[in-house]
Amino acid sequence: MSNRVDPNLIRELEEFGLKDANKCYNCGNCTAICDLATPENPFPRKMVRYVQLGQKDKILKSPEPWLCYYCGDCSLRCPREADPGETMMVLRRYLTSLYDWTGFSRKFYTSEKFEKKAVAAVGIFVGIGMIIWAITNWSMISWKHADINTVWSTDGIEKADLLMAGILSFFLLTNLFRCVKLVMGEYFKKVPLKMYYDEFKYMVTQFLTQRQFGGCKTKGNRARWIAHLAIMTGYATIFLLVVVFINGLPFMGINFLKFQRSWTSMGGRTEVSIFNPLRLAGYYSFFAIMYGTTYVIIARLKKWQPQFKNTHSTDWMFLILLQATAVTGILINLGHVFDWVFFTYAIYVIHLMVAIPMLVLEVPFAKWAHLAYRPVVLTLMKVKAKYIAEYEPAKEGAALAPEVAL
Amino acid sequence: MDKKIAVYICTGCGIGESLDVDQLSTLATSECKASVCRNHASLCSPEGAQIIKDDIANEGVNALIIAACSQRVMYDVFDFEGTILDRVNLREQVVWTHPAKDEDTQMMAEDYLRMSGARMQAMLPPEPYKPEQEMSTDILVVGGGITGMTAALQAAKAGYNAVLVEQEAELGGFQKNVSKNVVFPFKDVQANEIETLAAFVKSNDKIKVLTGSKVEKLSGGPCVFNATIKQNGSTSDHRIGAVVLAAGWKPYDPEKLDKRLGYGASPNVVTNVQFEERAKSGKITRPSDDRALKTVAFIQCAGQRDPQHLPYCSSICCFTALKQAIQVKQQDPKTNVFVFYQEMRTPGQGEDFFRKAQSEGVIFVRAQAPEVLASGSKVAVEAYDELLGDKILLDDVDMVVLATGMVPATAFGEDYKAKKETDETEKKSELVASVDSIFVSDILNLEYRQGPELPELKNGFPDSHFICFPYESRRTGIYPAGPVRRPMGVSNAMEDATGAVMKAIQCVELTSKGLAVHPRAGDASYPEFFMQRCTQCKRCTEECPFGAINEDEKGNPLPQPTRCRRCGVCMGACPERIISFKNYSVAMIGDMIKSINVPEEYDEKPRILVFCCENDAYPTLDMAGLRRMNFNAWVRIIPLRCLGSLNLVWIADSLSKGIDGIMLLGCRHGDNYQCHFIKGSELANIRLSKVKETLDRLALESDRVRFEEVSITDYAKVPAMLDEFAEKLAEIGANPYKGF
Repeated sequence: MSNRVDPNLIRELEEFGLKDANKCYNCGNCTAICDLATPENPFPRKMVRYVQLGQKDKILKSPEPWLCYYCGDCSLRCPREADPGETMMVLRRYLTSLYDWTGFSRKFYTSEKFEKKAVAAVGIFVGIGMIIWAITNWSMISWKHADINTVWSTDGIEKADLLMAGILSFFLLTNLFRCVKLVMGEYFKKVPLKMYYDEFKYMVTQFLTQRQFGGCKTKGNRARWIAHLAIMTGYATIFLLVVVFINGLPFMGINFLKFQRSWTSMGGRTEVSIFNPLRLAGYYSFFAIMYGTTYVIIARLKKWQPQFKNTHSTDWMFLILLQATAVTGILINLGHVFDWVFFTYAIYVIHLMVAIPMLVLEVPFAKWAHLAYRPVVLTLMKVKAKYIAEYEPAKEGAALAPEVAL
Repeated sequence: MDKKIAVYICTGCGIGESLDVDQLSTLATSECKASVCRNHASLCSPEGAQIIKDDIANEGVNALIIAACSQRVMYDVFDFEGTILDRVNLREQVVWTHPAKDEDTQMMAEDYLRMSGARMQAMLPPEPYKPEQEMSTDILVVGGGITGMTAALQAAKAGYNAVLVEQEAELGGFQKNVSKNVVFPFKDVQANEIETLAAFVKSNDKIKVLTGSKVEKLSGGPCVFNATIKQNGSTSDHRIGAVVLAAGWKPYDPEKLDKRLGYGASPNVVTNVQFEERAKSGKITRPSDDRALKTVAFIQCAGQRDPQHLPYCSSICCFTALKQAIQVKQQDPKTNVFVFYQEMRTPGQGEDFFRKAQSEGVIFVRAQAPEVLASGSKVAVEAYDELLGDKILLDDVDMVVLATGMVPATAFGEDYKAKKETDETEKKSELVASVDSIFVSDILNLEYRQGPELPELKNGFPDSHFICFPYESRRTGIYPAGPVRRPMGVSNAMEDATGAVMKAIQCVELTSKGLAVHPRAGDASYPEFFMQRCTQCKRCTEECPFGAINEDEKGNPLPQPTRCRRCGVCMGACPERIISFKNYSVAMIGDMIKSINVPEEYDEKPRILVFCCENDAYPTLDMAGLRRMNFNAWVRIIPLRCLGSLNLVWIADSLSKGIDGIMLLGCRHGDNYQCHFIKGSELANIRLSKVKETLDRLALESDRVRFEEVSITDYAKVPAMLDEFAEKLAEIGANPYKGF
């Protein structure tokens, strides 16, 4: 069976930011230099060839883009300046859009205008919603002290949060399911569930430590890894605090984790002690996100390394929203501490207008989605290798056939 | 000429220490009949040369024997006007290759001096050949394409008149139909400037442009060519000095291509040449319905590098495909362009052009046997992509362009020899050498006994030997250039034209002075025929590698000395020994053989005579000397202009003289031959096989004669080769004719 060439794929990918893939003459230096490429999953040379030959189906089934952490070695070594690292980045965007069954992601990536409009629309919707909510609750509002709970009850916010998290998870998980099915191919049904289960711990470790990222031995990669880890841990922490535990999940009886507390419940103070672990965790998140995003923004502006040379509009949007969320978040805290009543309320509205579009749009449909795809695909590859070793030992060596080795 | 012989023995470079020079001097006076004999420690120094000059001036010596180094060195120092000269190679082939102060070394040096004396007795000063007809230095250029026009222009610039013959009504050749081309520095496609070149040629008053014309007949030889040119029904005669053949090429017939390439199955499958026609007419569109192109596929090596079709690479089709792909891309960058290639060949800075195509977005697919699936206007290409490791299918292709190759214009028409053999039931000559193919391609229409066009080297190309001697053909004074010589593009063709014109100029300059052209450039001797004894055996006319000898109705040879390269193959071929040069003849070599002192059988000093090609084998022995490698002391070496000038009587002379063994050292023959005169060593080998039969019949061991091929780098092998032969001769025993 011949693989049909889609000659228009290159141009389609250009909309996702592809630039120089056609310069590649397939020498394979990129794959040879890559610390993460393996004989079973060689890249980037193979992926670039798929792109040149319009092999959409093969790309769709490829795990390789998720195994690449874009250290930039390949792009530095490329004798044709074909920027293979950037091609891998483009393929991650492309795959995100292909996994997404709503078609939203594609629009997001291919139209900067649409992206901006969507973010603005969600932001304005949230803003108006919050103001209407506040008006319907006008008489209860405390103007003496900054007490957000009197304007928007934590109870209500929690319900809205959980609803949002649910919708968000639905989209993310359905897309993730498609990703798993495509990447596993024929193995999807073959592999017993227990095997997936056994590797769950590996997935969590990868998610939390990004050990694979550390596998890139390139100079300067450590700083990038630290920045990335800071963003990821800061983001995960604050996500848990403000989305999941904002009201301490009262039905589960873990009230002590409640992040946003009322004036009265604190006995006339807005905040718990500065040494309270919850508060410290919040501050950690702020500093971690600020450090990480600032590092990346400077790196991208100064184009420090190959991976910072080409910045897609979605990259900027992501960084801006994340940093704005962190900044408005810490301002809410300041408002509380200094008891600036109106300031606190106003900044709270702005905070949500920034944070919610980021969560609703970026997580399932755009750059944030990689937080799920990466560790999952990494785990799937391990599962697949284990399965082959156990059930199909004959295929183990076949993967090393010379023509696919690079 | 009254010869007054002088012998000069150099004692430098170790000669004086190794040999008894006094003994040699005595020999010079007694056996070489030298009236003057002098020694000097450094003959090649100004003082040394001055001694000789003084003797010429004061003593009136005019026949010089210089016993010093090899004839291949210091030839510029030992060049004295009005004298004849022979060099005795005492340095490289005697003292540097044999032990010093040794009886055998001394005997060898003495023999060489005797041989030189014998040669000097027989030698006459050569008189340059002057034809009876008026000589011309005009250059005829056949073909008015880019090569021909460049050649004519270069000839004119160098001050020579040129006659440019073009069969079509307009100058320009193939390039006339090409809209864009790519030349150095290969960065981008550019407009074709053939019109400008044609205008230059037309306006040059040293160039006579004859369009719509052809060469109907070409007779004579360099400087005395008579070209009968037919133009618009009338013919005119031109006296010509030399010819540049720039007849160009024709595309390979696409109808002959493999079915898998789909030619003929759809109007949308075209050749690269047909693409040019479409590009010339303006917009490049889908052939079946003139719609805009969306996807175009180029398929390289269509019927090329394929033993069933053209076995060679035409070298320009990769450039052409890149150029055409860029043209398509520049017309509309949205068109998808794929190039299916076996190997992308863009020699030199052409690599930049490949980069250019890549940056324009052309996709390259390495595939050995792509298949075109065509029916009606629907075309698809299926191929195994080696870089993907899988088969791919490119469908909805609007146009497939097949890279067909270049066939030289000289490769068309019947094979002359094949035709002649069926026509005549003439008895074949005894000797069967390889036959040159000559295709009756109706380009030069030579009035030559051996056929009307240039013989091919390979695949119909008329080159003589493309590494050693570019632009040379096997017909003196006719120099092929451009794609008729080997496949090439515009840049190379212009360079080629210039080179070939240079050759043509050398030819007319030397020939008009009565001197030989390459490879014996400047030789004033030429073969003279003693016709009274000719038996009309036709060996000389058959065997001349350059077709220099015509014949009359009775079969008498009609030598054309301006066509001759002075190799002496005719001299070797002639059973009646009637062909000789003033300074090179059968009798002269025979005298040299007779002058060798052959010791009696009980002396146990056998003698081996080596006939040695002076172009490759002789320098090989010199190189052995330079490296101070010893070789067998029984050996006596006679250099020949070409091993093809070996006359069998010399074998008989040697054996009757008592010489124990004879070795012929010649160049490699057959495919990739290295012979300067194309077939010399091959002919010598054939002649030797004949004489071996005779020796066996006479109960004389045929192992006494041997043929060996050496190339110039074989100096390390030659001593072992000679030793091995000496051992073999020891086994056979002494020559029974010794002492008679």
